[in-house]
Amino acid sequence: MGYRDVAKVGLGGPVGSGKTALVERLVPELVARDYEVGVIANDIMTQEDADVFRESFADLLAPDLVAGVETGACPHTGIREDPSMNLAKIDEFTERHPDLDVVLVESGGDNLAATFNPELADYFLFVISVAEGEDIPRKRGPGVTQADLLVVNKTDLAPHVDADLEVIEDDAAAVRGDDPFVFTNCKDGAGVDAVLEHVEREVLFA
Amino acid sequence: MTTTPDPDAGAFLTALRLSDSFLPVGGYTASYGLEQYVNEGRIEDGDDLRELLAAYLRRIVGPCETVALANAHAASGAGDLEALLAVDERLHAVTMPREFRESSTKAGAKLCELLVGDTTDGDGNGDLENAFADAVATDATPGHYPVVYGVVAQRRGLSRRQACLSHAYSFVTGLLGAAQRLGRFGHTEIQAVLEALEPVIAEVCTRHVDDEPTAMASFAPLAEIMGMRHERAGRRLFMS
Ligand SMILES: Nc1nc2c(ncn2[C@@H]2O[C@H](COP(=O)(O)OP(=O)(O)OP(=O)(O)O)[C@@H](O)[C@H]2O)c(=O)[nH]1
Ligand SMILES: [Mg+2]
Repeated sequence: MGYRDVAKVGLGGPVGSGKTALVERLVPELVARDYEVGVIANDIMTQEDADVFRESFADLLAPDLVAGVETGACPHTGIREDPSMNLAKIDEFTERHPDLDVVLVESGGDNLAATFNPELADYFLFVISVAEGEDIPRKRGPGVTQADLLVVNKTDLAPHVDADLEVIEDDAAAVRGDDPFVFTNCKDGAGVDAVLEHVEREVLFA
Repeated sequence: MTTTPDPDAGAFLTALRLSDSFLPVGGYTASYGLEQYVNEGRIEDGDDLRELLAAYLRRIVGPCETVALANAHAASGAGDLEALLAVDERLHAVTMPREFRESSTKAGAKLCELLVGDTTDGDGNGDLENAFADAVATDATPGHYPVVYGVVAQRRGLSRRQACLSHAYSFVTGLLGAAQRLGRFGHTEIQAVLEALEPVIAEVCTRHVDDEPTAMASFAPLAEIMGMRHERAGRRLFMS
């Protein structure tokens, strides 16, 4: 039993776009569906950060299924060219929890070029937020175009930052072709069901 | 035009491959206490960095890792699994800070997955490699990076000395890269430090390449204390 035997979902995207917020929405739903879940956060800055994460999942996950991985100020390397330390952590998970179903790997916040190594993530979500500018999708960053699912988060903030959701939708459709994207609001949970549906269909039922 | 086969090409290319930061064994996540030196304001400029790395070379890389690597190389060449495991065990015992051991064994396990056990040939040495890879994979032995490195280098034709040099070199460039990401060092300054350290790399390899395994020991109390304080550091970008 090792990292090859468990489903792995990567979450990448710029700093503050809502990757952690989405993980916090997904984990309880996955646990409610009887999946055993592990969570890895890259680029946790202090041990306190790791503890905060562990606390927020205290009732849902065994403490040793929540881990931080430091990437030496190279978040993109950690998920792309050299995912070895993330894979080593997943191996530790599966050693102690042989029934583990899925691991969520949150990348450290990065730029629009970050993509997941396919050996680290069977399914890769790229999370952007409307507050970063409505033109993000049309910049065609590799993260936006290559992700299995593009998540456009913080729809509630659109009116406050003059972002037009219709423009974002048209651009996303244009750059993604037939590949899916969803809008979410992690504050109230809107759209999270759609994300779950994709993850379940593409990764857990596969 | 005729091409002459180049018997050294494979070994030379292996040395390049092993000392290249492109090798995916997580080297970029290790600072071996350097992050803590920076956190505590103990490294201000290139001179500090050069002195610190020279001390790492003389007190840790040379007397611990080079001795382990050289003896792992010899044990691999002799097909002596017992000796190989004894070297690994001793390196584990003399590596004091927990995070140093973790960085080294994680990288060792990854190097083992990547490069050990795929050069089986008729001389039976493949058996040693496979047995060692099994021992690492099942945690029967810690699988420290210099030990795995010694096996890989020996099997791919690097001499003991070349193996030690390329390993010490990659240790230095790994830490210089870490320093550059932690502090504010210019690229020309970093290259000047590297250049100044080259004779030190050669010196420590010459001094330790023929040491017996029992000579393996470290004396770097401050680096070790930094490595231990890092476990509870207020800022952690690195695993060690
Ligand atoms: N209004 C609003 N705020 C959100 C939403 N999702 C997340 N946030 C907030 O945005 C901030 C950043 O969210 P995180 O989930 O920490 O973002 P992240 O992508 O994990 O950030 P890094 O890990 O630092 O890259 C936090 O204050 C969240 O509460 C959303 O849908 N709407
Ligand atoms: Mg986060």
